[in-house]
Order: sequence, then structure tokens, then C-alpha cells
Amino acid sequence: MALTRINIGPVHPSTHGVIHLVVDIDGDTIADVEPHIGFLHRGVEKLTETRMYMQNPPYMEKLDYIAPMSYNEAYVAAVESAMGIEVKERAQYIRVILLELQRIASHLLSVGLLCNDLGQMFTGFMWTFKDRDLVLDLLQEAAGSRMFYVNMRLGGLNRDLPPDFADHANETLNYLEKRVTEYENYIEKSPIFTERMKGVGFMSPEEAKNLGVTGPVLRGSGVDYDVRKNNPYYVYEKLHFSTKVLHEGDNFARYKVRMLEMKESIRLVRTALRMLPDGDALGMPVKLRSPNPVNRIATVNRELPRGEVYMYLVADPQKPYRLSMRSPNFINLAALKHITRGQRIADLFAIMGSLDLVMGCVDR
Amino acid sequence: MKVDREKLTSTISSMKGKGYDYLVKITAVDYVDHIDAIYILRDMEAKKDETLEVTLNPKDLWLPTIIDSHKSADWYEREMSEMFGIEIRGRRALRLLLEKWDGTDPPLRKTFQWYAPYNTANPKK
Repeated sequence: MALTRINIGPVHPSTHGVIHLVVDIDGDTIADVEPHIGFLHRGVEKLTETRMYMQNPPYMEKLDYIAPMSYNEAYVAAVESAMGIEVKERAQYIRVILLELQRIASHLLSVGLLCNDLGQMFTGFMWTFKDRDLVLDLLQEAAGSRMFYVNMRLGGLNRDLPPDFADHANETLNYLEKRVTEYENYIEKSPIFTERMKGVGFMSPEEAKNLGVTGPVLRGSGVDYDVRKNNPYYVYEKLHFSTKVLHEGDNFARYKVRMLEMKESIRLVRTALRMLPDGDALGMPVKLRSPNPVNRIATVNRELPRGEVYMYLVADPQKPYRLSMRSPNFINLAALKHITRGQRIADLFAIMGSLDLVMGCVDR
Repeated sequence: MKVDREKLTSTISSMKGKGYDYLVKITAVDYVDHIDAIYILRDMEAKKDETLEVTLNPKDLWLPTIIDSHKSADWYEREMSEMFGIEIRGRRALRLLLEKWDGTDPPLRKTFQWYAPYNTANPKK
């Protein structure tokens, strides 16, 4: 039977960004999907080679604009590793708190958008978006800004937490914990949601490893790998948390991993706030000239909300010689072609939504 | 770990048998007189990463594909080929992934000319 070719995008409400999908369908079964990317390519890797070390964080934040702080932190950590700078203990705790709050904010948006993609138009999205705002309030208190924070400094942060931050945070977290359970009840009891999620977009553990997927997508396929656990950084080892792994390997498992991770992040933030030591958390003030690196090559990997980022930094005095980033979304999108083959065309966006892609991070 | 280009495919497939079954990243660094292609592999059970380096002469830029061992190499190889001008042998011609080619050098090579160079040593110039 002859295949029909349809073009989706580059501008389409369900693609969550600018991407062009060329889809070959046989009836309503997908025969092949070819993503065309690069619409948001800004050449950030090349740009970093021309800027001083601490001129780069604002560019890093524009890569993954749903979880900007996480990307920024990974870059600053790579620079710290190259320069041999130790992060102050209090700053380590605060970074963990902020990164986990960022993870909650990111997952809330992801779940809301998934509801949108599956036809629960705007109800789920507005609920999660409203709650995400409360997390952004906390981040604003701590970092001074709502969307792009640029609050990481070498060895610490731009400012300490405000005195009443712990109270505000605990209040918000108690509320969020209740809400996340409510979402689970609301979303998972809806047949519109479950019928297009359970058993759709299956990926086996072997396939997941072979395709190189990462983050909740990998853990939803039953591979227990989380950088926070397997290659711990900062104080994650002291905080005692568990990684969330589900073995179903379908859309639903990937969604559910995010839900469980949100609950775990809430617990993590609470523990970190309780254990927060006194002391100084401020990093070096931003100056154009930074200390010279002691290591020529620094590699750092971090668990972002969407998966693992791997920074490979070749350091020159004053500016990076080469910065290579392993973008989690890039490799998750590359897997789309393999997961969607043989699925229904109507489920394409359910699968894409479950991968939780941010195109700024794919294209870099 | 340094590897010869000729032994790359066999090294990676034998490492896959030994547990390094997850490809983290393929990238390259242009050191002007030579180019290093970098393959980062991971053994998830043993929590170990291994970095393979293949040194290439800029006048003889090609690498064998490793797509038979790791499907995830597909896009990484395309990206590397586009950004560094490295020919990937053993698979069909690669469509550009991220950019449109405008006849200049590959973007991540040090010979790439900026339209308006930014002088970091003296920003006012």
C-alpha cells in the first residue's frame, strides 16, 4: 500500500517548540517519522568559545528555558571543576534545594502540557501552571528572578536564602504534596488519558539503552540510572532518597516516573532545609577575569529534570577552548523515530508529550 | 584511552560485550594540528565511564560508523560530521542536522570565520 506523507510543524501547538516532523503513514499507522531540527540552533557551543567563563551562564539558561537553573548549574560546575574550586557547604545545600524546586516546576509543566496534548484541554494545564507559579515564587525569593536566574557563582551563589525562606517553602511544599496526589487521582482516573498512555509507545530496557535515552524516559523503561544516585554530587548522598523506576516502558510509565519524582523532590527539599548548615553561601563576585583553570579537561554530569547533561569542557585561560554539551532532549528526540514506528498517528503527540522535549535544548 | 581509527568499531563492540553498553556522547575537539574524536561509553552496573579518543589528521578526516553497536550514535555522528567536517564511512550520506551549509568551514572548527569577530581580550576594539 502506498504511504501518505504528512508534514507536521515547524509551528504546531503540540510540538512544544519549533520542530518539523515528516511523517509517513500507512492508513493511520505510522511507518516512519523523520524529525527536522535546527530551527532554534544558536550555536551556543561555538559562542562559549568567544566569551569569558562567567559571561556564558546567561546563554546556558536559554537552552532549556523550562528548567534554566539546572543547565546553568551544570555549566558552572564544569567551570568549577576545571578551576579546582570547592563549593561551600551551605551553598551545596542551597543549590540542591533550588535544583529540586526547579525539577518540581519543570515536571509540573510537563504533566500539564501532557494533559493538553491528550485532549483534556487546559484544565490540567491551568491547574499545574498555577501551582508551578508558587514554586517560581520560591525561586524568585531565593534567586531574585522568575524565569532566568543566573544565580550561580563560582564556589557558591549570588545571594543567601532570605530568613523566612524555610517557612514559605514548607508551606508551599505541604500544599504541593496534596495537589500532586490530587492530580494523580484526577488524571489517572480519566479514560481519555489512560487509554492513550498505557501500552502506547513501548520501549524495552535494552532498546532504551541502545537508543541512549535518558532521565525519566530511561527510568520509565526499567533502567535504574539516576546521576544523583549513581554518581552523586553535592550533598545528595547525605539526603537519603530513592530513584523512581517503573518497568512498563510505555507513555504512562514515563509520566508516572515524573509524578513520583515530584513527590521525592518535595521530600528532598524538606530534608535539605532541615539539615541546612549555617555559614557563608556566597560565591565569587562576577568579574570579567576569573581564576585560571588548573585542569585542562573537565567533565561533569548532572541529572536535569529531562535527563542527564554531560559537560565536556576543554579549558583555556579565561575562556573555554571547547565546550561540548550532551543535551538530554537531543537524544530523547532521536529515539522518537524508533518508538513511534507501528503506532497510530493520533498517538504521536502522546508519545512526544511523554518524552517532554524542549527544542531550545535539542538545537542548542 | 587512545584508540586507532581502524580498531574503533571492534573496540566499541567488544566493550559493549564487557558491559559498556550505553553511549553517553560522541563529540570532537579541534586542536588545530589534530582533531580528537571523543567517544564516552558507560557501564551502568559498575557505574564507570570510559572515554575513547581517536586522533585524526585534519587532512584525512574520516571515521567508521559505530551505529551497528549503538543506535544512539546516529544523531551524534550526524552532528559531529556537520560541525567538524568529519566524513562518517559505512553509512549512507548524512543529511545536515542542525544547520544549512553556506559554503564556509564547519562551524566548530577553529578555522571558522565569524562574521564579526568579538575581541575578548579587548572588547572595545
